[in-house]
Amino acid sequence: MPKKHSLDALEQTLRQASAAREGFLGADERSLATILQADDEAIRRRGLTHAYIAQHLLALRQAGWEGLGEPVSVPPHFEVCVDAARGTLPCPFGDQGSFAKVNTTVHNLASGKEITFTDLNIHLIASHGFYEGHGAQFRLDPEQLMDTLEMGEI
Amino acid sequence: MPEPAGTNVSIAINDRPAFPVPTGQSLLAALKAHTIFVPSACGGRGVCGLCRVKVLAGAGPCTPREEALLSEADRLAGMHLACQVTVERDLRISIPNDFFSAREYKAEVIALRDLTPDIREITLQLRSPPVMDFKAGQYIQLRIPPYEQLRRTIYRAYSMASPPSARDRLELEVRQVLNGAGTTYLFKHLPLNTHVVFNGPYGEFYLRESNRAITLIAGGSGMAPMKAMLCAMQERKIRRNVRYFFGARARRDLFLMDEMQALEQSLPDFRFIPALSKPLPEDQWTGETGLITEVLDRHLEDQYPGEAYLCGSPAMIQACVKVLQKKGVAKDRIFYDTFA
Repeated sequence: MPKKHSLDALEQTLRQASAAREGFLGADERSLATILQADDEAIRRRGLTHAYIAQHLLALRQAGWEGLGEPVSVPPHFEVCVDAARGTLPCPFGDQGSFAKVNTTVHNLASGKEITFTDLNIHLIASHGFYEGHGAQFRLDPEQLMDTLEMGEI
Repeated sequence: MPEPAGTNVSIAINDRPAFPVPTGQSLLAALKAHTIFVPSACGGRGVCGLCRVKVLAGAGPCTPREEALLSEADRLAGMHLACQVTVERDLRISIPNDFFSAREYKAEVIALRDLTPDIREITLQLRSPPVMDFKAGQYIQLRIPPYEQLRRTIYRAYSMASPPSARDRLELEVRQVLNGAGTTYLFKHLPLNTHVVFNGPYGEFYLRESNRAITLIAGGSGMAPMKAMLCAMQERKIRRNVRYFFGARARRDLFLMDEMQALEQSLPDFRFIPALSKPLPEDQWTGETGLITEVLDRHLEDQYPGEAYLCGSPAMIQACVKVLQKKGVAKDRIFYDTFA
């Protein structure tokens, strides 16, 4: 089993992580615990769960995968494009396995909003309720995410 | 018992004579010091999981990083990440023989050409050593130095688009990746005349010697190894039936069309088949349309007796391999270089 991190050590790992250019916490000066709690509250306010969000993202990613790099229409008014780059990324929490560098971009054709998430984002949300810190390259702001994807109460 | 730091132990690789190395460093660093380059993208920080070597004797237990990045089957087979193995005692390891031919090179960027809105051709003139031998289809690991928010050196893999005969001048075709640390540097921070460092060549993706017909399938920067293979065939006067399916969205995403047409003239049995998935009205496109899988399915006969070479995204490769197998192409005649 991978060694479990203490919260402080984990926070240091996330701030220094070389896989993401600015680390997983970006310029966010809040503690990891505070970031996790704030994002958790944002999700709960909408009556959603991290597992539900991750499943939704995974379903969009799988729909987009069928496009072989070209945009795919997803009802009611989304366009999804999945793009892959060479290489993989490990989970900064030390979980088993690594994640292909796959970016999924969802364009809400009705609102004009757009959001991009990675395979690692999906894992981090599903397994750790972690959306990364403000300013991180692949931060997913829960409010923006739910608004763009028009996610209401389950 | 581990030897004290700074004393010498030995590393034996494959069936070659052992050589002495000081203790206390990583196996990856020890091998690099002896000009044996194991591919690594993260520069030795246990992130990319690429620097896999088989340790037959002398390694300790797997580190937490290795436990996360290596499967149980790999670990049971003695696989380790070279960057995570500390040299503490005599080591016996096994690596692919082609790693011995990889070297570190210094080169100068002598040309930059935007081929499409998101694909750039980078031409490197080798400076030291002045030439590199490689097979068409292989790749190098280009060093990306720290810049802006990239705090540490990383390496990124790019296939040669130029043929092996151009031993002193390499062409790379790089696709810009959203927020990609490597490609952002190559698109925004790499002026002409910059000196770069890379190591290589690496890879098992190259044209097999046979007389079989060939199907090439690529999209985006997957063009690079295919162009290298075709140019090598032209130079070596290899006469095989070749069809090259290249997928793009619209006409603006097609590139090297003149080069492909010239190859059609000089290779007597070569046909280039570009296909657009979403041609624009102004494209006035009269060629193939649809996803590359659909075009492949239309063109490839059942019980196709040839070989297939694919380079592109994992989704494209997965889908095309299914079509190839449906057409009766055996697994051992399908070769691919997936981005993942």
